[in-house]
Amino acid sequence: MQSYWFGDMADGTCQPCKGDAGILADRVRARETSMDEFAPPDWQVAVACGACRDRADYLAKLREVCFLVAEHGIREKYSGRDVELLQMTRTLDELDTVINLLTGRMAEWYQTRHPAFSRKFRRFDARTLLRTMSRRSGGALGRVTGDIERLSATRTALAREVSARAEDVMPNCTALIGGLVAARLLLHAGGLEPLARLPGSAIQVLGARAALFSHLCARTPCPKHGIIFQHRRVHNAPPKVRGKVARVLAAKLAIAARLDLYRRVAVPEFIERSQARIDAAGVVP
Amino acid sequence: MIWIDGVLVSRGQGGIYGERMLSDARIWDPYRSKLSALYHQKKGVELEPDMRVLYLGAAHGTTVSHVADYVEVVYAVEIAPRPMQDLLEVARRRTNVVPIMADAAQPEQYAPLVEPVDLAYQDVAQPDQVTIALRNCIFLKPGGTLILILKTRSVDTRKEPGIVFSDAVSQLTGDGGLMVRDSAWLAPYHHDHAAIICTKS
Repeated sequence: MQSYWFGDMADGTCQPCKGDAGILADRVRARETSMDEFAPPDWQVAVACGACRDRADYLAKLREVCFLVAEHGIREKYSGRDVELLQMTRTLDELDTVINLLTGRMAEWYQTRHPAFSRKFRRFDARTLLRTMSRRSGGALGRVTGDIERLSATRTALAREVSARAEDVMPNCTALIGGLVAARLLLHAGGLEPLARLPGSAIQVLGARAALFSHLCARTPCPKHGIIFQHRRVHNAPPKVRGKVARVLAAKLAIAARLDLYRRVAVPEFIERSQARIDAAGVVP
Repeated sequence: MIWIDGVLVSRGQGGIYGERMLSDARIWDPYRSKLSALYHQKKGVELEPDMRVLYLGAAHGTTVSHVADYVEVVYAVEIAPRPMQDLLEVARRRTNVVPIMADAAQPEQYAPLVEPVDLAYQDVAQPDQVTIALRNCIFLKPGGTLILILKTRSVDTRKEPGIVFSDAVSQLTGDGGLMVRDSAWLAPYHHDHAAIICTKS
């Protein structure tokens, strides 16, 4: 038997599928065709079958069904718990870039108005710098610095939201490396399922693409860590064991991601054992 | 193909992706479209008004819209949701485009929808591009043409593009039983991309 979008063919007789485009679309989604002995559909058969009037009608009906299937597919892909987290994390990282860029530019501008001002040898954090600049300047300079201050506040709020959402979507990963770094890992992998499919060795160098490819192509030393470097236990580790910590952490993250995908809840005994194992890796013998 | 003073164009409603117009025709930019680049290399097959085309890796529907200007119907297969949203917009304005949300590597997902076609065109960034193309040959009519845009860096970043190319050709002729009629590298328009034109016997 051959199954087509408009009906079934068996022994030369055709059984058209009754119903509107919605019913046909549900049927197309549910069917899996066996490709052995498959013959593609023929519009003339569909006409003889009574599924449509002529060629134009065949294509119009087929298009209607395909639109419904595609729209359903898009909705389904966007309904994943990780989809919005990806957008939030991307926005967070881009806000950081924009804020840094504008702050740097405004400092340069401010310096031409106040030649005596210098950032050198001063322990200014970015917030103090912005406040000083916006208070002491008028016009566009004052307005832009004020805007940056507000943008920074938005960024802080968004970071909190990202952490909270990461805790919800990937509780085990978050327990090991914190919400923000977990969200960035998710971003680089492209979602929770792709992340869960990665081996630990790939998670270890996720985000170190340039270094990895230069290692593969030009035989430079291989990168020890990518995104996970942002986690304190990696970047605070003594250089001698930093690679080891990164490796152990990445291996545990690979398991954590799978727990997050399939169990969807934090697994305290796993987290406890992993933390001890990662801490042990950071001890210099 | 329609050329106006050495510029490849297609005739249809404009404004699909901000393309420039030339005396009421849409300019088909070889730097954006690999198929246009192939025509600029003076290779490829003439698109005829009665042709049925299977387009694998339709993405945002940019090239699809130009192909649709020339042929009777285009079956456009794309899996990713974000490009699919754009492709649906294109398909709403081009009534001869059939948008199919499915994985080109799994023809069984969309087999009941696609009729026999004269031309199969594939432009997907997957390591097993050639296998995907061969699996889709079931939709080709006898004597039909397959245009495979081989993205050599997607097959293997470390291998020389030339080696990836000759491996692909031998796989197409060997396991696939296709006849390789012509081929071309798409430089300077697209780097490390080759087009392989095959005929199904």
